Amino acid sequence: MTLHTRIDTPHVPIDTPANGALTIANLSKDFRIGREALPVLDRIDLDIRAGEFVSIVGPSGCGKSTLVRLIAGLDTDYAGEIRLDGKRIAGTSLDRGLIFQDHRLFPWLTLEENVGLALLNTDIPKPQRARIVAEHIALVNLTGFEQAYPHQLSGGMAQRAAIARALVTEPKLLLLDEPLGALDALTRVHVQRELQRIWLTQRSTMVMVTHDVEEAVFLGDRVIVMDAKPGRIRRIVDIDLPHPRDRSSPILHRLRDEILAELTGPQVDSQAPENLVHLPVREVRA
Amino acid sequence: MIRRFAQGIAPLLALLLAWQLASASGVFPAQVLVPPSEVAATLARLWQDGELGDHLGTSLFRLVFGFLTGAAIGLAFGAAMALSKLFETLFAPVFQAVRQVPVLAFIPMLVLLLGIEERFKIVVVAVAVFFPVALATFDGVKGIPKAWFEVARLYRTPPLPFITRILLPAAVPPVLTGLRLGLTRGWLVLVACELLAADSGIGQMMEMGRQMFRIDVVLAGVFVSGLVGFGLDRSVKLVERRFARWKEA
Repeated sequence: MTLHTRIDTPHVPIDTPANGALTIANLSKDFRIGREALPVLDRIDLDIRAGEFVSIVGPSGCGKSTLVRLIAGLDTDYAGEIRLDGKRIAGTSLDRGLIFQDHRLFPWLTLEENVGLALLNTDIPKPQRARIVAEHIALVNLTGFEQAYPHQLSGGMAQRAAIARALVTEPKLLLLDEPLGALDALTRVHVQRELQRIWLTQRSTMVMVTHDVEEAVFLGDRVIVMDAKPGRIRRIVDIDLPHPRDRSSPILHRLRDEILAELTGPQVDSQAPENLVHLPVREVRA
Repeated sequence: MIRRFAQGIAPLLALLLAWQLASASGVFPAQVLVPPSEVAATLARLWQDGELGDHLGTSLFRLVFGFLTGAAIGLAFGAAMALSKLFETLFAPVFQAVRQVPVLAFIPMLVLLLGIEERFKIVVVAVAVFFPVALATFDGVKGIPKAWFEVARLYRTPPLPFITRILLPAAVPPVLTGLRLGLTRGWLVLVACELLAADSGIGQMMEMGRQMFRIDVVLAGVFVSGLVGFGLDRSVKLVERRFARWKEA
């Protein structure tokens, strides 16, 4: 079955395995502020299977966006290991796509030109590029808007265009940094559904950072819950439900509430006892 | 459209009417406050005998050469200052200080260095054009958001398309504004220059008119230089709009 779809897309070499397994080992990252080193990520270990959808949630300042930028290769200054299919990440690559919270389409290019821009550094022959661009615009349901400029698109449409641009190079791994954070609630639900459909058709690995716990459990095979200062993994929650999912499923709601409680409640990490308890004595002294 | 045009032209007509009435009232001597009708007649005569055309041609020739020189150097200088930290550290302070000096203040020195031939006028225009263009290019390139550089890195956009499809379009609107300012500034300075030291050109025509007490010729020159400046500004504005199509709804 998979072999059949591969033959339909001749621009992908047939012998390339459909992979995209990400290994993060002992990853630490400091930001330098003046002479002081501020730890942002502290010894992160994470294995992401090929084709998996992983959501990352956590309080602001937990380094989740930094983590995604490191995986994308926009920032190469880190300690530890990040490997995609065994290859250490050192810089950006068309194997790894990234979608930002803002769509970052170029305002002077049409939708079609914006998507096509991603293909400039590929060896796909020119005549095929137009077809691939059209396919991906269709994938995000924007056929008919090829000639539109970004300001003519709604927020949701622009973000879908950004998804098309990120997918047009067929990356093994797609990173999403709060991709729906700037959308209104209704549009967000709509684009979530689109994202799920796209993931089910493309089956590339996806790692999404989000503030929205409901979104995280709805889309993710696993939800990584992070702690702040320094950023580290507090808990990994398996969402063992088949896709596509029913948003109103009671299991999802329970998982969401559990994760929310964990994020908003007192910390239970034995490594950081000073954050743990609210001693009345302390409050009196303060 | 017609209505807006009428609204734009009405104050001008009112001014001309007031001027005509003031001349007719006889409060000022007719040689000093020449009525607009007479200026128009002079303008037509100057145009018909080719004198105005000659002067205008000479002035525009100087403007074009001075503008092209000044704009080219300004673009290169501004871009270099925006892209190279070292270049900025070296030249930004001098640049920021010198650009506060009115260009006309350089004229005495330039006359001594270059004489009062064509070379001098072209250099003065080039200096006048250089500063606004360099400043706008510097700001334009500096102001390109980091986000767009990141997108280019993500897709590993090759250098040539990176320049033509990302850097230039991002910098073009502010740079065009700088070019427009430079062009009109160059024209102002050129006419002033010709008033001071020249044997031809619109400014020289006005200066000759003044010396012969032909205020009608002076005013004809005022009208033409205003019209040329307005036309230059408008035409670059049209180009600007053409390049900013993607901004409009």
